[in-house]
Amino acid sequence: MLVRIAGNLARFVLSLLAATLAVFALMRVLPGDPAAIAAGENATPEVVAGLARQFGTDRPLPVQYWDWFSGLWRGDFGISYVTRTDISPLVADKVQVSLILVTLAMALALAIAVPAGTIAAVRHHKPSGAVISAASQLGIAIPGFLLGIVLVSFFALRLGWLPANGWVAPGVDFAGFASRLVLPVIALAGVQSAILVRYVRSAVLEVMHEDYLRTARAKGLSPLGALVRHGLRNAAIPVLTVTSVQFSALIIGAVVIERVFVIPGLGSMLLSAVANRDLLTVQSVVMVLVALTLVVNLLVDVLYTIVDPRIRAAAQGAR
Amino acid sequence: MQAILTARRGRRGARLAAVLAALLMLAACSAGSTGGAPADKDKLVVALTGEPVNLDFTTTAGAAIPQAMMANVYEGLVTLDQTGAIRPLLATKWETSNANKSYTFTLVEGATFSNGAAFDAEDVKFSIERVKSAAWLNGLKSKMDDVQDVVVNSPNSVTVNLARPSQAWLYSMTTLVGAMFDPSGVDDLANNPVGTGPYKLASWARGESINLEARPDYWGAAPGIKDVSLRYFADAIATTNALSSGDVDVIYNMQAPELLSSFESNPAYQVIEGTSNGEVILSMNNKAKPFNDKRVRQAVLYAIDRKAVRDTAWNGLGTLVGGPVPPTDPYYEDLNDRYPFDPAKARELLKEVGVQDLKITFTVPTRPYATAVSEIVQSQLRDVGIDAKIASAEFPAVWLDTVFTRHDYQMSVILAVEARDLLTMFNNPNYYIGYDNSKIKDEAAAADASDEATYVEGMKNVVRTIVEDAPVDTLFIFPNISVAKAGITGLGANSVTEALNLAPIAWS
Amino acid sequence: MKNARPTPALLAGAAIVALIAAAALLSFVYTPFDPLQVNAPARLQSPSLQHWLGTDNLGRDLLSRILVGARITLLVGVVSVGIAVLIGTPVGIWAGMKRGAVEEITMRGADILLAFPALLLAIMFAAIYGASTVSAMAAIGLASVPGFARVARAGTLQVMNAEYVLAARAAAQRPVRIAARHVLPNITGMLLIQCSVTFALAVLAEAALSFLGLGTPPPVPSWGRMLQESQQYWGSFPAMAIWPGLAIALAVMGFNLLGDGLRDRLDPKLGRGKA
Repeated sequence: MLVRIAGNLARFVLSLLAATLAVFALMRVLPGDPAAIAAGENATPEVVAGLARQFGTDRPLPVQYWDWFSGLWRGDFGISYVTRTDISPLVADKVQVSLILVTLAMALALAIAVPAGTIAAVRHHKPSGAVISAASQLGIAIPGFLLGIVLVSFFALRLGWLPANGWVAPGVDFAGFASRLVLPVIALAGVQSAILVRYVRSAVLEVMHEDYLRTARAKGLSPLGALVRHGLRNAAIPVLTVTSVQFSALIIGAVVIERVFVIPGLGSMLLSAVANRDLLTVQSVVMVLVALTLVVNLLVDVLYTIVDPRIRAAAQGAR
Repeated sequence: MQAILTARRGRRGARLAAVLAALLMLAACSAGSTGGAPADKDKLVVALTGEPVNLDFTTTAGAAIPQAMMANVYEGLVTLDQTGAIRPLLATKWETSNANKSYTFTLVEGATFSNGAAFDAEDVKFSIERVKSAAWLNGLKSKMDDVQDVVVNSPNSVTVNLARPSQAWLYSMTTLVGAMFDPSGVDDLANNPVGTGPYKLASWARGESINLEARPDYWGAAPGIKDVSLRYFADAIATTNALSSGDVDVIYNMQAPELLSSFESNPAYQVIEGTSNGEVILSMNNKAKPFNDKRVRQAVLYAIDRKAVRDTAWNGLGTLVGGPVPPTDPYYEDLNDRYPFDPAKARELLKEVGVQDLKITFTVPTRPYATAVSEIVQSQLRDVGIDAKIASAEFPAVWLDTVFTRHDYQMSVILAVEARDLLTMFNNPNYYIGYDNSKIKDEAAAADASDEATYVEGMKNVVRTIVEDAPVDTLFIFPNISVAKAGITGLGANSVTEALNLAPIAWS
Repeated sequence: MKNARPTPALLAGAAIVALIAAAALLSFVYTPFDPLQVNAPARLQSPSLQHWLGTDNLGRDLLSRILVGARITLLVGVVSVGIAVLIGTPVGIWAGMKRGAVEEITMRGADILLAFPALLLAIMFAAIYGASTVSAMAAIGLASVPGFARVARAGTLQVMNAEYVLAARAAAQRPVRIAARHVLPNITGMLLIQCSVTFALAVLAEAALSFLGLGTPPPVPSWGRMLQESQQYWGSFPAMAIWPGLAIALAVMGFNLLGDGLRDRLDPKLGRGKA
C-alpha cells in the first residue's frame, strides 16, 4: 500500500511539473507586450524598452521560467511588474475568499442534495421522486449567473432584505460578512445541488440493489430505514468522488458568481490580471487553481488506496 | 454494529466542523478588508469602475490612477475649475516674461507633503526635471518637452524657462505631469504615494477599494469628509445595485445610462449630469484604403445620424458637438451643421469615388459605450452601402496593440479622454488616425506661441480645417453622470480634469 | 435491448433538440425581421402581433435574434463536442488497447487537462486569441477531451475481453482494424451519451463566457450575449432577459434529457438516472 501511495505522490509531482510548463508556455503566447501596455498611449519605443528591462520580460524565456519556477517551491510567486507588489500575500488572501465561498456553497449543496437525492431514489416510482428529478433537470439547465441576477433583483433590490453585492472580511464585521454571503452561496449551491442530486440518486439506487440491503429489508426494515442504517455509507463513496471533482471546478466556476456579486476571490483576480496582461499574476493564479485541483485528486487517490483499491477502479468511472 | 457506525459518523461530523471553523478563522484574519456601510458624516464610499493596477502614474498609463490620486493625494502648481479655467493651487500667482517663454511661480507658504517634508521651490525643480528624466515612463511626459530649465529664485519662487512660447504648457501643468513630488517620497510610488494633497492613502485592499484619509496637517481648507473609500466594481450594474442597497454613497462617472431612471424618480437620490473631456470618436485610418480618400470619410459623416446614435446607445445623454473639441475647451464651437445626417449625399459621394458595396472591418474595443455605438453605426452604414464587419478587440491590451500601435485597422470607435487632445490626435501624422497635418501644423504652432485671444481664434481655425477633412466622426461628448445620495453636496458635475476631486464633497 | 419503447425523457429530449435544430435551420431561410437591423424608434417594445417576442434596446426583433441565436448555440455545441470526440475517442481507445505505459501517460495527461476547467481555458484562450466564438469552442472542446478519453478507455477495456475481440486478436488482425471493426461500434452508445451531456455543458459554458464578455462578440446574437446585453433592462424591460434565458435553459434541458433517455435505452442496467 505504501508503494501505491508513493506512486500517487510521484505522479502528483510529475503532473505539477508538467502543469507549470504548460501554464508558463500558454502565458507567453499572449499577444500584447506587457511593457507596451504599461507605457500606454503615446509611448516612445525607448520608454517601452525601459519598462521591458525593468519587468525582466526582455530576458530569454528559459531564464524567466526558471526564475518563476524556483520561487514557486518557496511559495514565492515574485513581484508583479504591473502592480509592483508581492503576489503571494494577495493570492493567499484571495484563496481564502474563494475557499470560503466554495466550501459553504458545497456544504449547502450537499445538505440539499443528499436528502433530496436519497428520497428521489427511494421513491423513484412515485410522484415525489419524479418531482425531485424534474427539479434537478431544471436546476442544471439554469446558468448560475442567471440565478444570481434573479436573486439580486428580488431579494436585494425589490425586497431589500440583503445587500446586493460586495464583500466584508469576517473579522471586520461578521454580520456584514454573513449577509453578503447568503445570495452568492445560494446562487452557487443551487446549480451544484441540482448536479449532485443526480449523482446521489444514482448512487443510492445502485446500493439499493445490493444484497445486504435486500437482507435488511427482508428482516422487516422499511426501504428508507434499511438504507439509512446500512446503505448510505456505501453510497457515499461515489458521491464523495464527484464532490471532490466538483469542488475544484467550482473554484474557477465561481468566477462568474464573483463577477455578479463583486466578490474579490481568485476568479476576479484572474480576470483583472488577464485584462491588465499581468502575466506573472495570471500564471500564479492559474497555477494555484491547477495545484488545488491536483491536490484534491491526490487526496482522493490516496484515500481510495487506503480504503480499498477495488473501489478506486470502480469510482473512476463516476468521475 | 449500528452504534459503532453512528459514533464514527459523529466523529467525522465533528472533524468536518472543526475544519470549517478553522477555515473561517483563517479568513477572519485577513480575507478582504472592506468596511461596512457608513452612516456617519465623516465617511463616504464612492463607487467607480476600473481599478488602478498600481498608484504610480509616472510609469503606468491609464485614467484610473490620476482619477484617484490627482487633486486628492497629489497637487500641481495650478488646477482647473469646473468651467475649465486655470486657477492657482500650490502657486498663489504666476507671471510670464521673456516673450512668454518664462513662467515665474510664487508658491504657497506652509504646504507640506504627507511624509512631513515641507514643500518649496526645490521640489518644483525636482518634480519638473524628473518628468524629463528616464524615471518617468508615462507617454504623457512629452508634455514637458518644451521645458528648457527650472531656476529656483527663493524657497517660494521658481522660474520655468521654455524653449518656445506655449499657451498649452501651463494647461499641461494642471494635469498629472504637473504633480508635485518630494525627493524623499518617490521610492515606492506604486504603493506609497506621497503628495501635498488634502488626503493621504490609508489602505488599499486590492480588488476592492482604495481608502483615503484626510490629512490634519493639510495646508489648505480641510476637506469635507474625513474617510473616503473608493470602491471598484467590475461593471455599472453592480455599482447601481450597491447604491440601491446602501453600500455606496456616490456613483461617479456612471457607465449605464439606462439605469438612471429608477434613481431620477426617487427623492433619496440625486442624479448629476455634467460634461467631460471625453470625445466618443469614430476613427478612420486616414492612411489606408478606403478611408485615405477624404470623400469616403465625408460619406461616413453624412451617413451617420449622430443624434440617433447618442439617443439609442447612451439614452440621449451626452452633447452633440460635430467636432473633436469638448464644450469646456476655450476653442470650442458648435460644428453640428457641417455634416448633417444625409444618407443620399453619402451615397452620392461614394458613387463619385466609384466605390460600391464597400466592405470594411470595424474594430470595436470591448467597452460598453463602444459596443452600444458600434451596432447602430454598423446598421446606419449599411443603409448607404457600406458593409462594416464588427471585430471585437479586447480593451486595452488588444486594441492598443492592433489599432493604436500597429495601425492595423480601417475603422474603430474610442472614447478619447485625455484633456485638450486635439493636437495630440491630429497634429501628428504618425498617430494611429494618420491625419495629414500639413494644413494645420504651422497655424497650430503660431497659435500656441501667441497671446490667449489669438490662441483661441487660431485654434478655432485649426478645428474647422480638421473637421472639413473629416479624419474622424465625433459622435458625441461623453456625459459625466454621477448618482449620489440626496444628502451629498460639493460633487463636481463636470469632469474637466482627470481627477475626481474629493475635497469639496460633504454631507449636508 | 429489453425496453424498446422510448422513455418519456428520450422523447422530450429529442423533441426539444429537434425544435432547436429546426429554429436554427429556419433562420437560414426565414426570420420575421433582419436580426441585425437597428430600429431606434421601435426600441424596447413588448410582444405584439408584429414582434412576437418584442424588441430589444436597439429596436431589433427578439424572435429573429432568438432564431439566429439557435444557430450559434448549435454551432458551439457541435464544434466543441466534435473537437472532444475527435481527440478524446482515439486517445481513449488507444490507451485501452495498448495498456501499460501508453495508458498511464495518456490518462495522466487527461488528468492534467482535467485540472484546466473549460472556463479557465476559455479565459486564457480569450486572452491569447481574443474573445470569439472560435476561442470559446476550442476551449470548451479541449476541456471536454478528458471526459471522452475516459469513457472511450473504460468502454475499450470492457470490449477487449469480449470473445470476438479475443478472437480477432488471436487472428492477428491489425490494431486499427480491431479498433474500427470491433471496439468503436461497441462503445458508440456510451460516446453518444457523453456527447449529449457535453453538448449541454457547452451551451452553459458559452452562456457564461458571453456573460463575462469572453464569448461570442457583437453583433452576432448568441443567447448568452443577449442575456448579457439585457442586464441594464432587468428592472425596466424583463422580456429582453426572459427569452434568451428560457432558450438556454430549454436547450440544456433538451440535451440532458436526450442523454438520460439514451442511457436508459442503451444501457438498462445503468438506466437509473446516473448523471
